[in-house]
Amino acid sequence: MLLPSESALKADPHAVAGSTDYDIVIVGSGISGAIIAKQAAEAGKRVLVLEAGTGVNRSLVGYDDLLTTFYSAATKDNQSPFPMNANAAIPRSPQLRKLQAGETDSSTYIVQSGPYVSDTTYTRIFGGTTMHWEAKTPRMLRSDFKSRTIYGQGLDWPLSFEEVEEDYRLAEREIGVSANVEDQTYLGQTFPGDYVFPMRGLPLSYLDQQVNNGIDGTSVDLYGRTYPLKVRPYPQGRNGIPNPAYDGGAGYRPIGAVDTHQVEEGGRCQGNTNCVPLCPVQARYHSGKTLAKAFQMNGKSGQPLVDLLSQAVASKVVIDPDSGKVSALEVKVYKDAASPEHETITVKGKVFVLAAGAIETARLMLSSGLRSTSGLVGRNLMDHAYLLNWALMPQICGAMRGTSSTGGIVDLRDGPFREKQAAFAIDIHNDGWGWATGAPTSDLLELVDDRNLYGADLRQGLIDRISRQLLLAVMLEVLPVESNRITVDPQFTDALGNMRPVLSFTVPEYTMRGAAYARQFSRTVFARLGAQDHTSYDPRDFGYVAYEGQGYAIRGGNHLAGTHIMGTMKTNSVVDKNQRSWDHENLYLVGGGSMPTIGTANVTLTLAAMCFRSGRDILKYLH
Amino acid sequence: MHTHSSIRTLDELKEFLHEAMRLEHATIPPYLTALYSIKPGVNRDAAQILRVIVVEEMLHLTIAANVLNAIGGTPDLRRPDFVVSYPAYLPDGETDFEVGIQAFGREALATFLKIERPAIRPENLKAGNPLIQRRTAPHKSMLGSHPSNNEMHFYSIGEFYMAIVCSLKEFEAKAQREGGTIFTGDISRQVTSEYYYSGGGELLPVFNLKTALDALELIIEQGEGDGGGIYDGDEHELAHYYRFDELVKGRYYIKGDKPGHPTGPQLQVDWDGAYPIKPNLKVAEIPDGSELRAATIAFNHRYGDFLKLLTLAYNGQPSLLLEAVPIMFEFRNMMLELIRNPLPGHPGLNGSPTYEIGRDVAAQEVASQAEAVA
Repeated sequence: MLLPSESALKADPHAVAGSTDYDIVIVGSGISGAIIAKQAAEAGKRVLVLEAGTGVNRSLVGYDDLLTTFYSAATKDNQSPFPMNANAAIPRSPQLRKLQAGETDSSTYIVQSGPYVSDTTYTRIFGGTTMHWEAKTPRMLRSDFKSRTIYGQGLDWPLSFEEVEEDYRLAEREIGVSANVEDQTYLGQTFPGDYVFPMRGLPLSYLDQQVNNGIDGTSVDLYGRTYPLKVRPYPQGRNGIPNPAYDGGAGYRPIGAVDTHQVEEGGRCQGNTNCVPLCPVQARYHSGKTLAKAFQMNGKSGQPLVDLLSQAVASKVVIDPDSGKVSALEVKVYKDAASPEHETITVKGKVFVLAAGAIETARLMLSSGLRSTSGLVGRNLMDHAYLLNWALMPQICGAMRGTSSTGGIVDLRDGPFREKQAAFAIDIHNDGWGWATGAPTSDLLELVDDRNLYGADLRQGLIDRISRQLLLAVMLEVLPVESNRITVDPQFTDALGNMRPVLSFTVPEYTMRGAAYARQFSRTVFARLGAQDHTSYDPRDFGYVAYEGQGYAIRGGNHLAGTHIMGTMKTNSVVDKNQRSWDHENLYLVGGGSMPTIGTANVTLTLAAMCFRSGRDILKYLH
Repeated sequence: MHTHSSIRTLDELKEFLHEAMRLEHATIPPYLTALYSIKPGVNRDAAQILRVIVVEEMLHLTIAANVLNAIGGTPDLRRPDFVVSYPAYLPDGETDFEVGIQAFGREALATFLKIERPAIRPENLKAGNPLIQRRTAPHKSMLGSHPSNNEMHFYSIGEFYMAIVCSLKEFEAKAQREGGTIFTGDISRQVTSEYYYSGGGELLPVFNLKTALDALELIIEQGEGDGGGIYDGDEHELAHYYRFDELVKGRYYIKGDKPGHPTGPQLQVDWDGAYPIKPNLKVAEIPDGSELRAATIAFNHRYGDFLKLLTLAYNGQPSLLLEAVPIMFEFRNMMLELIRNPLPGHPGLNGSPTYEIGRDVAAQEVASQAEAVA
C-alpha cells in the first residue's frame, strides 16, 4: 500500500554502473519513457529509467508532499508544487522579465535571448511534465499530418494519420481518456467501427454551457467560408465513468497511481480546479501510473525488470567512433537536492532512449556534441502560442468550479484559411481569469486596496466579480522554423556543471496573423455573449509581440516539439518515423521533439502514440 | 456449519442483509471521525490507512445493498435505527465490545483492531450455538445481532456473514428445485463499477448465487483476512486488522511477514496529533443557542440527507451516487468545523459530529429553524 515496491525505488548507482544486463536505458520518466519502459518489460526486457528529479513523488507520501507544497505556496504557478532543485532545475514563469532585442537573460534556468521571452515550462521530476499537465487529449487531425501538401505550410509527417490511428487508441487506453466519440467527430474526424473511448466524456461545466447558449447556432466567416460555432467537450486524461462498451464490451478499469495498491489508485475526477499543477486525487493521468505497472513486472528470476535511478542527470551521450552507436551514457548522480556534490557514473545498455522532453533531449544531444548529420538537433522548436482574452459575463456563470478546462471552441482547427494563417482551438477556462490576471488573488487585492471593501460588501464584490469571469485561451498553431531553437553555451551551466538550454524564439508571422484574427474572433464571441471585454496587453509584458500596429501578449503552451524532428531521410531530419536516430542505430530520441508539426492538438496524446510505435521498433531491433 | 438454521425465510434473509448494511455503515462514522480528527501535517500514514479502510467500508455497504437488491429487497438507509446510537456494541466471541465516536489515538486504534479482529471460535465451542445471549445493557445498539431477536448476537461478524451465505445457498437450492430462483431483483438496481471504483475492490453486479457469494466473500476477506493470513485471498491486499497493526507496531508489513511481526519500513505515529474531541458527544450536551450546537445539528441533518440520497441510489438510481460526491465534501467540511472548535463548558475538549440521525426530533426542528434563518 504505502509501501513502495522497494527494489524499483532503490536502485543503487554503483550497481547500476556495474550492470551489463540492461537491454534499454531510458532518460526521463515522463510519459514517453514510461510507455517504452512498460512495453519493454512486458516483453521481458531489462530496463533502466534515469530520472533527474529526486523521485520522492514515486510514493504516495511523496506525491502528497507536492500537494502540501502547492497548497502552502504563495504564488500558485504551474510549477509551484515542485521544490527548487538546482541539480535538475526547471523553468518557472514568475521569474521572467521583459528583454530587449539582443539582450540575454541567464538568471533563469532556460537562458532567454530577447526580444521574445517564452514562459514555456516542463517539469523535471518523476513523472515528468505529466505531473503538471492539463490532460487534454485531442488527436491531431488528418490534415495536420500533411499541412505542406494541403496548405503549402509547415512540413508533412513521414507518417499518415492512418498509420498513427491504432497507436492513438493504445495511447487513449494507457492514459484512460474520457470522451464520447459523438462529441469528437467534428471536422471530419473518424473513429474505427464501434470504437468508444475508455471512459465516458466528462460533462461540460456550467460556464461552458452558458457560453454555448450564447454562440450555438451562430457562425463566423473567414476567407469566404462559414464556420459554425459551438462549445464542444475536450477529450481528457482524467477518470470519469468507465464505458462498459469499451474493448468490445469488456469495459475499462481505471487503474494505476504512484502506488499500485487498489485504494490508492487514481480516484474519480471530483472537479477540483487545480488539475494544473497537480490533481489531489490522482484522477488525472500521470506517467507514474504507467511506471507503477512496469515496476511490478518481474523477470524469470523473480527480480523486477525495470529499475529506476533517481537523482541521476544524464550529462553525456558517448558514441563509439567506429560503429557510430551509443556505447554509454555519462550520468551525474547527486546525493542531495541542496548540494551540487555528485559522482559521475557510466551506464551501459543495448539501446538508449532519450525521453527527457523536447528541450532537455536536445540540450543533452548538443552538449554531447551531437548535432546530427542534418544539423537539426535543437532547431524547429515549436510550442503552441497562447493568446488570452478575458471578459465578464453578464450573468453569474460559476467560474472556479470544475476542472481547469472542460470545453472549448474548436471548429477553427482546420480549414482552407490555413494556407494563410494559423489554425486555433479555444479553451474555456473554468478557473476564471487566473492565467491572465492572477485571479482570484488579484481581485481580492483590488477590492480591498483600491475599493476599500470589507465584510459583506467584499464577499458580494468577490462573488460578483469572480463568478462572472470568462477566459478564452486561444491555442494557436506554430509551424517549424529552423531559427527557433535550443542551443547550448559553455558559459551557461547549472549546479552540476551541465550546460543549460539557451532559447531563441520568434513567434512566426503565420501564427501572428492567426493571433490577430483570434483576437477579433474573441471580441465577436464576447459580443454575442453580451460579455464585457477586459482584455489588455501590456507592452512591458515579457511575451509582448507587435503585429500590424497592434500588440499581443503571447504565452507559451508547454507543448514543446520539433527539436529532433522526424523525417524521411538523414539530411532533412534527426530521427526516422520510428523516432530512431538516423546517425546512431541504437539511439532513439522520443517525445514531442520528433513531431514535424503540432497542429492544434495538445501534444501529449500524439507523442504517447508515437512511443508505442517506437517501443515496437526497439523490441524488433533487440531481436 | 450450524448457522443455517438462524435464517428461516427469504424475508428474514432480507432483514439480515439490512442488518449487514447497518453493520457495515456503523464502522464508517468512527473511522471517518478519527480520520478527520487528525491534525493537518501529522499522522499521514495513519490518515492514509484510515482513508483506505473507510473507502472499503463504503464499498462493503454498497455490496450488501447489491446482494439485497439481487434477492428483491429494497435497501432503506432512512430507517430510524439505521444509524446506531454510539457507543454501539459489536460481538467479540462470547462477549462484546464498545465502538464509539472518538479522536484518533491509542484508544481508538484499540477499538479498530477489535472491530477488524477475526474472532476464531475455540475448539471446545465448535459445536456451540452460533447465537449468543448478549451481555450488554439492553438499550444499547447491538450490531451483528439477530434482526428479530436483538438479545441474541452472533459469535463474530464472520459467523454473521456465514449465516447469510448458508441461507443464500440453501434458499437458492430450494428455489431451483422448484424451478425458480431467489435472485429475482431488477439488474438495473445494481450499483456497478461505473459508479464506484478505486474503492479497494470490484463492484460487480449480483444476479445469481455465484456473484452473490463472490461479493460477500470480498467483504469477509477485506474485513477479517482470509483464515488469519495477513493478506487477502489474492495475496494482494493487507487485511484491515493488519493495516491497523502497522500503526501499533510502527512498521509496515511486507509480503512474507508473519502476523504480528511486520518487517517493512518504519512509520511514525503522533499519538497526540489529533484534536481532543469529546467521545460519543450528544447534541443534548452542547449548550443551547451555541454556534457549535447549531453546526452539530446542521451536520446531522446533512448526513441524513446523504443517507436519503444513498437510499435512492440503491433503489434504481445508481447515477445519484455522482451527486453524493459534493455532499461528502460538504459534510467533511462541516465535520472539520465541529472537530476543530472548542466545546463550550468542557475546557480542553472539542466538538464532534454526533451522528444522531433521525432520532432527535428536537434537533430536526432546530435544523429547520436554522435553515429558515439562513
